[in-house]
Amino acid sequence: MKEFLMILKGDGLSTLSPEEMQKLLQRYKEWVAKLGEQYVTGQRLENHGSLVKGKNNIVTDGPFLEPKEIIAGYFLIKAENQKEADAIALSSPHLGLYTIEVRPLVQPLMH
Amino acid sequence: MKTPESSTSRLVAHLFRTEAGKLVATLTRVFGTINIDLAEDIVQETLITALHHWGNDNIPDNPAAWLTQVAKRKTLNELKRIRSMKNHFGHQSGIPGDADQIDGIFLDEEIKDSQLRMIFTCCHPQLPVSSQVALTLKTLCGFGISEISKALLTGESTVNKRLYRAKQKIRKLGISFEVPSGKHLTERLDAVCLALYLLFNEGYNSSFRPTVISRDLCLEAIRLAQILVQHFPDQPKLFALLSLMCLHTARFDSRTDQKGAIVIFEDQDRSLWNTQLISKGMYYLGEASVGKKLTEYHLEAGIAAEHCLSESFAETNWKSIHKQYEKLYSLNQNPIVLLNLAIIKSQTDSIASSLLALEKIAGNPQLKNYYLLPMTRGILSLRSGNPAQARGFFHHALKLTKSPQETAFINAKIKSCEI
Repeated sequence: MKEFLMILKGDGLSTLSPEEMQKLLQRYKEWVAKLGEQYVTGQRLENHGSLVKGKNNIVTDGPFLEPKEIIAGYFLIKAENQKEADAIALSSPHLGLYTIEVRPLVQPLMH
Repeated sequence: MKTPESSTSRLVAHLFRTEAGKLVATLTRVFGTINIDLAEDIVQETLITALHHWGNDNIPDNPAAWLTQVAKRKTLNELKRIRSMKNHFGHQSGIPGDADQIDGIFLDEEIKDSQLRMIFTCCHPQLPVSSQVALTLKTLCGFGISEISKALLTGESTVNKRLYRAKQKIRKLGISFEVPSGKHLTERLDAVCLALYLLFNEGYNSSFRPTVISRDLCLEAIRLAQILVQHFPDQPKLFALLSLMCLHTARFDSRTDQKGAIVIFEDQDRSLWNTQLISKGMYYLGEASVGKKLTEYHLEAGIAAEHCLSESFAETNWKSIHKQYEKLYSLNQNPIVLLNLAIIKSQTDSIASSLLALEKIAGNPQLKNYYLLPMTRGILSLRSGNPAQARGFFHHALKLTKSPQETAFINAKIKSCEI
């Protein structure tokens, strides 16, 4: 199995109503339970932070992006191939609230 | 590991919504009515935090207390931020600061008190009534924009505008976060009663739409009215309002059949009526029956009680109901009351006299677009053996509604004219 990083972009949760969030929680727990061993980890990112660029020691506040481009969080999952990883992303309750980038991790060299 | 079912089942239905309402009220007490937006943002952040923690982990034993704790921590952080900013600009801090004071505000009793204050802020007579209802749903009931728009049958942009303007007005007028007392109390309570009554009716009158939101509106109106009567046990009017809400809601399930089609009152299955709500309604009506002032809420509750207590449609005490409608009309010249009085004539007098009374009010401009008027005339005409006339009325009724349920209801009646 390969590992895939699912990168979630957007600010979908900020406009959800409490009722919608409670429903999302239910669907999310079901999704994680269904993935079982294929779910490795996941985390939400704070909306703030800084941007470090170039060699001139320039550190700026915040990612300075459109809300829809902000990285909201990530999941690390296991799948046989890109197709299966995409299917997992498609079954995620986050879809619709966020766009999801599904990227395979480079395989370590086998010894 | 626990299965998701056993874990999420720890969450009672609407927990997020109910807790959001409590927390927005509590945080508004901390940050002031000029900062309702800030209070809402912090509560939203609290729910998002819960979503992530509970999503990956188990749901805590006491989810509501968990949410309160997190909201409190976020509040203290925000206060720290505001204070450091104020110090930076050399302002005096006008917001409660010390942790003990904040702790106190987050206690159960005080949360209830904050909700009470929030009711009076949202239902302030200087805000337009439509804004009062929208703001109450947003802040006290934890409804989202799309849910409010569905509940009130208005567009989301209209809801947003109403909320925006209401909050702006609250800031501009400096509307306080207090429970009024003394000579203002009566006037302020009247405004609150009216807003809750409208909130309730939005739910009750739209219950034929295929959505559960209408029932939620009724239950929310009852919940808020219960907070009020606890604080004002000496206000019979509040008890009357609460009573009529319970008695009407008790009949909710019998008003449509399993397919969602309308069932007229006469044909409703009384075994579906919620006896628990009826006894609650009767209890509150008893509590309302003190003092000298007879309000419209008393009469409406009284009429609803007559229906709820009658074993069958045939045994209904129409004389008493007629008398109460007459009193109601003397208090408020509402044409819907005239319509009801005319309908009751078919029970107390004759169908012919009822039809005559209905004809008399048909020209009333406020009833001109009310589909139930021609609908009633059609049903009575059919009953008096005049299907041709009935059909005309039904076709007229058809033009006055867009609701698919009502249209289906009318079409079924038109069909029965042909037999």
